[in-house]
Amino acid sequence: MSATASANRSAPRKRRGAERPVSLLLGLPLAIVVGCLLLWPLAVLAFNSVVSQTDGVTFDNYVTVLTSDRYLTSFLITSVLAVGSTLLALLLCVPAALYIERTKSRASRGIAVALTIPLSLPGIVIGFFVILLFGNVGLVPVASNALFGEPIGAMAYTFTGLLLGYLYFNIPRVILVVRGAVAQIPHDTLDAARTLGATPWHVYQRVVIPALRPAIASASALSLATAFGAYGTAVTLSRGYRVVPLDIADAFTESFQPQLAATLSVVLALVTTLILVIVSRLGEKGGKLS
Amino acid sequence: MTSTTSTTGPSTPTPGKSNGSIKPTKPKDPVLATGRVFAWVAVLVCLIPILLIVVVATTRQWRTGVYSGGFTLDWIIQGFDMVAVNFAYSFQIAVIVLLLNLAIGFPAAWLFARRQFPGRRIAMAITQTPLAIPGIALAIGLIMAYGTGDLKRYGILLVFGHLLYTLPFFIATMVPVLGGRRLQELEQVALTLGAGGVRRFLTVTVPQVKTALLGALILVVTLSLGEFNVSFFVFSPTDPPLPMELHSSHKQDGIEIASAVTVWFLAFVVPAAIVLERLGGAKVSASS
Repeated sequence: MSATASANRSAPRKRRGAERPVSLLLGLPLAIVVGCLLLWPLAVLAFNSVVSQTDGVTFDNYVTVLTSDRYLTSFLITSVLAVGSTLLALLLCVPAALYIERTKSRASRGIAVALTIPLSLPGIVIGFFVILLFGNVGLVPVASNALFGEPIGAMAYTFTGLLLGYLYFNIPRVILVVRGAVAQIPHDTLDAARTLGATPWHVYQRVVIPALRPAIASASALSLATAFGAYGTAVTLSRGYRVVPLDIADAFTESFQPQLAATLSVVLALVTTLILVIVSRLGEKGGKLS
Repeated sequence: MTSTTSTTGPSTPTPGKSNGSIKPTKPKDPVLATGRVFAWVAVLVCLIPILLIVVVATTRQWRTGVYSGGFTLDWIIQGFDMVAVNFAYSFQIAVIVLLLNLAIGFPAAWLFARRQFPGRRIAMAITQTPLAIPGIALAIGLIMAYGTGDLKRYGILLVFGHLLYTLPFFIATMVPVLGGRRLQELEQVALTLGAGGVRRFLTVTVPQVKTALLGALILVVTLSLGEFNVSFFVFSPTDPPLPMELHSSHKQDGIEIASAVTVWFLAFVVPAAIVLERLGGAKVSASS
């Protein structure tokens, strides 16, 4: 596409209405926004995590975070929730996305619409959904109480409840990314593989899954990132199970330790970014994902 | 896909097969068959809570069972009175965020789509980083950088936060559209026919991208309306946006009222999501 533009430009004499190259100035507003609203606040965050007014430069907060049982447990719980919900979402949504994109029926289009809805729901609403289903007066316990005389399945505030909430917001994200990639697989390739005698399993193993690997990686990345940062769902459902965003909020608003909050934020952002880099690498290179 | 793909047989012609009729809608492929089941499971997971919330919001007394005490619209009406102000405020914020996305994101998407420059990939990756960094971390960063004074009081920090979290989606949706080969060929044709830059933009580019643009803008509005992770720390206590009101209602009110309030939120977001999918759906950049 830029080839045609440069071919035009190579003509030495300037024609009327000739296309000029796109000015880099168009990116200036974005650069300002990214600089002021993303990079500068992150720098301030990092600065606050190591500089205190009384002690000067200190890494005490990092020592506190990395040696405290409480915070390490939070990191562990957050990781298990994020990885667990991502794996469940992949298991459910990769085949579903294949079905949606490869059978363009009215039903599959309806399914696609239904699966986009959770994308714009805030975490608190998703948490509330879990409470409506599995809370103390949720549908499942109320119904089982009516049927069997005892409330079964009141698990909203347990680990399972949290996991369900996390799964809910990961479903649309995995669907979104994987669908796009399935749509890009040329039908000719699949047809060719079939005509050459490949069994369905072979086609998946040799053609579809390799073609989807980058998408599966970026879907996992998006899903993991969202889960690591999830605050709304956790604040609604967490009783006993602490996740890192809750600890950050506590340190910042309840116990007025902004430096500690900044440190936890930096550590969480680093952990998230590191995982994303690893996952993206797995997707790009020949590394085995599964 | 073409109907021929459903015949998964080997290359050797087997004319004597008993099931001669080709049914393209019934996938024989085991993965697609599984996919269909999983897709329906996912749909049930996504939709059951939404239906349930409507039922709870219209039941007089949920605690004693489904529709115990009968059907009522009282909670729904009461819920509207509770959130009308917050809804108006959130909508106002969403419109400002939308305009900023257009003003900032559109030129940037144009640049990313139409010019290769050194650092382009890195610039695009940085644009997508808000999706990777926990909202709470960025919110605290914003507060530490810009304080809790006027910027917070007038909701400016809230707009900033929403802008950060909507721009990645907006740009990721617009870049492939603006970089589309067909669009650029059409523009080229208009150029050779002598159309000026403004005219080309208004009569060729805008009509070609308007569907995707509308979809991107709807996504921006719905994401802004539902944003919680950043908003929770940067909103002005005098003007709580809608999700904050939902949050306090979920904590304080009875389950019926809390549901009714949430129904009002869903009443906007769910139709928006349906229109969005019709317009081509959302996009997320593959890199992160």
